Amino acid sequence: MPEIKSAEQKPPYYPSYFPDLARIVRIKQEVMDAVIELEMAGGRPLGHMPGQFVQVSMFGYGEIPISVCSPPGRAERFKLCVRPVGRVSKALHEAAEGDWVGIRGPFGRGFPVEIMEGRDILLAAGGIGLAPLRSLVQYLRDHREAYGRIILVYGARNPSLILFKEDVDTWCRDPSMEMYVTVDEADESWTGRTGVLTGPIKEEIEISPVQTMAAVVGPPVMYRFVAAELLAKGMSKRKIYFSLERHFKCGIGKCGHCQLNGIYVCQDGPVFRYSDLVGLSEAVEAWAPE
Amino acid sequence: METGTKKPYQVISRKAFLDLMGRLMKEKRVMGPRGRPDQPGFHYFDWVDDPEALTMDYTTTTLPPKKAFFPPTETLLTFTLGNPPKVSESWLEDPFVLVGVHPCDLSAIEALDRAYAYPPPDRRWQHNRKRATIIGVDCLPDSYCFCESLGISQARRPCDLFLTPIRRGYFVEIYSPSGEQMLNQGECSEAGPRDFRDVLDWHQKKRGRFTTRLDANADELANILEMGDFSEIWEDIASRCYSCGSCNTTCPACFCFNMEDDFDWTLNSGVRRRTWDSCQLVDFAIVAGEHNFRGERRDRVRHRWHRKFLYLYRKFGRSYCTGCGRCSRACTADINIADETNRIISAFRKGTGNA
Ligand SMILES: Cc1cc2nc3c(=O)[nH]c(=O)nc-3n(C[C@H](O)[C@H](O)[C@H](O)COP(=O)(O)OP(=O)(O)OC[C@H]3O[C@@H](n4cnc5c(N)ncnc54)[C@H](O)[C@@H]3O)c2cc1C
Ligand code: SF4
Ligand code: SF4
Ligand code: FES
Repeated sequence: MPEIKSAEQKPPYYPSYFPDLARIVRIKQEVMDAVIELEMAGGRPLGHMPGQFVQVSMFGYGEIPISVCSPPGRAERFKLCVRPVGRVSKALHEAAEGDWVGIRGPFGRGFPVEIMEGRDILLAAGGIGLAPLRSLVQYLRDHREAYGRIILVYGARNPSLILFKEDVDTWCRDPSMEMYVTVDEADESWTGRTGVLTGPIKEEIEISPVQTMAAVVGPPVMYRFVAAELLAKGMSKRKIYFSLERHFKCGIGKCGHCQLNGIYVCQDGPVFRYSDLVGLSEAVEAWAPE
Repeated sequence: METGTKKPYQVISRKAFLDLMGRLMKEKRVMGPRGRPDQPGFHYFDWVDDPEALTMDYTTTTLPPKKAFFPPTETLLTFTLGNPPKVSESWLEDPFVLVGVHPCDLSAIEALDRAYAYPPPDRRWQHNRKRATIIGVDCLPDSYCFCESLGISQARRPCDLFLTPIRRGYFVEIYSPSGEQMLNQGECSEAGPRDFRDVLDWHQKKRGRFTTRLDANADELANILEMGDFSEIWEDIASRCYSCGSCNTTCPACFCFNMEDDFDWTLNSGVRRRTWDSCQLVDFAIVAGEHNFRGERRDRVRHRWHRKFLYLYRKFGRSYCTGCGRCSRACTADINIADETNRIISAFRKGTGNA
């Protein structure tokens, strides 16, 4: 039988599952999470938009999807905020400055920053949902004159779990932003709001429903409650955007893991209009609260 | 199609065909159906270097021939840690022949061609497909086969040559210049009226042998799944299913996969592999924080039917079931895809499955 010939090559075309290398330039420890600043080999920019994700490889451990939490266009470098929950994310969380990771992407559909132009933007983040939204907040701030009001509602479990504390403080001091930070459980030091983040949306925030678009990221259970408050204010389902999480393996619509009814969250999303999700039985996030 | 020297319809005797295979086996690797030594009466696709080992008149193999292009376990890349790490992708380059593929399995290869061509394309599938020359062969159905109901009992593409058994040996249809080139290395003759009659007889015999049928065509079935509510049927199937995933791993038109890394003994280098995966396994759609988006078995069963007959039908314009019957043969719980599908169709028509 003839011999098997194999070639080791970098293929002359866009490789489907082959990552590029990126170096960890800086790591900042947030409470539970590590904010990892990366530079692509060769120094090229990542070229992402807010809401997109990358497939990050820790060689020997595996590959996972992580949202880019820094905005495009500020620097060649980009940031990921990693919560250690399992094999790959723990390995990534424990990586050191100077270490190398693999990056595929950016992939997916992000937030519609162009359609958002000229409108008021209401952002609602629960827990680590602030990571993907941070990219959008900073993008909006970098193009401040193109957008109307920027309202950010952020809910954390307790004060010590407030993510991106420095950013949140800066945004709170910025008169051009309207900030509503709330915690589920307060401690002695906390003088701010307590309770879930639908509280301020319902009781404190007044919006013009026609003029406003909303972006929501958080745990699955959060979406429908936030959406219900926004609908109660007269907003249309077409102006509410959700960024969804599913199990991703390939990130490019092939492996089937992220499938939600007939759509692929990795490729058709992760950012979806609420109106596009309501008819889908597997979009548990979109179901109305009973 | 350019048809060089030969007419498109040729006849090759069985002996000349085996000689041709022997000659090809000296040049290239050949994968084809052969008997399973462990299970008499069952067949599988394997690399064959003796033409006599080829069994061209087999029923259906346990695993589909898609493994020639998309192996159950495939190395995507190898890495060596370092500063920076060395990562390389390995590609098999040798051309090969895949012989003895039934119409349903040709159709499944076409299904994966479509799915994997959807941008961004799966370069590995496409690369491996380009390495292969495919020789199809016609077959007679067993009691599980229902490809006819999905309109693919006479599927030919994508193949280079297609054989139908006749009295003089095989009636050969030529589908590509490389198929013709291959055939030119064998001893064959032009097909005559008697050979054409034999082919028609074969087709008639094949049609007459189907005992399993779907009660709706692919288009109607997609509409039925879209419009109906079959919760009770999903519940009932789920009450018998073990979530073992055999129905997916034996399916020629399933293409979900997992990706995993492994260190070797040095703990400094290793490989990333992709492996066949199954949407019926309980952790297929789980994410961190214990959210399992398809944690209930009935939802996974429903997903399998919807993906095969509705979602991918809408996305790629064809059913992702070929009617090969492998999943029904493999299922330890005796869940028969054709019977259950007919139950869905009849529930809808009776109005009990209407949403
Ligand atoms: C679009 C998107 C953006 C994300 N952004 C961030 C982010 O910015 N920061 C962050 O910390 N996390 C983010 N995640 C979640 C992150 O991908 C998972 O936490 C990670 O994949 C878990 O893998 P692991 O190997 O560490 O855990 P595992 O050891 O594999 O398991 C831990 C748990 O995570 C589940 N899981 C395994 N693989 C995946 C997967 N590929 N996708 C989802 N869940 C999985 C497991 O089933 C298990 O329940 C994002 C996920 C998606 C889909
Ligand atoms: S082979 Fe049968 S028992 Fe196993 S997952 Fe499929 S339907 Fe269920
Ligand atoms: S679903 Fe079953 S009958 Fe249909 S192609 Fe797959 S294995 Fe064959
Ligand atoms: S992650 Fe593979 S299909 Fe979406």
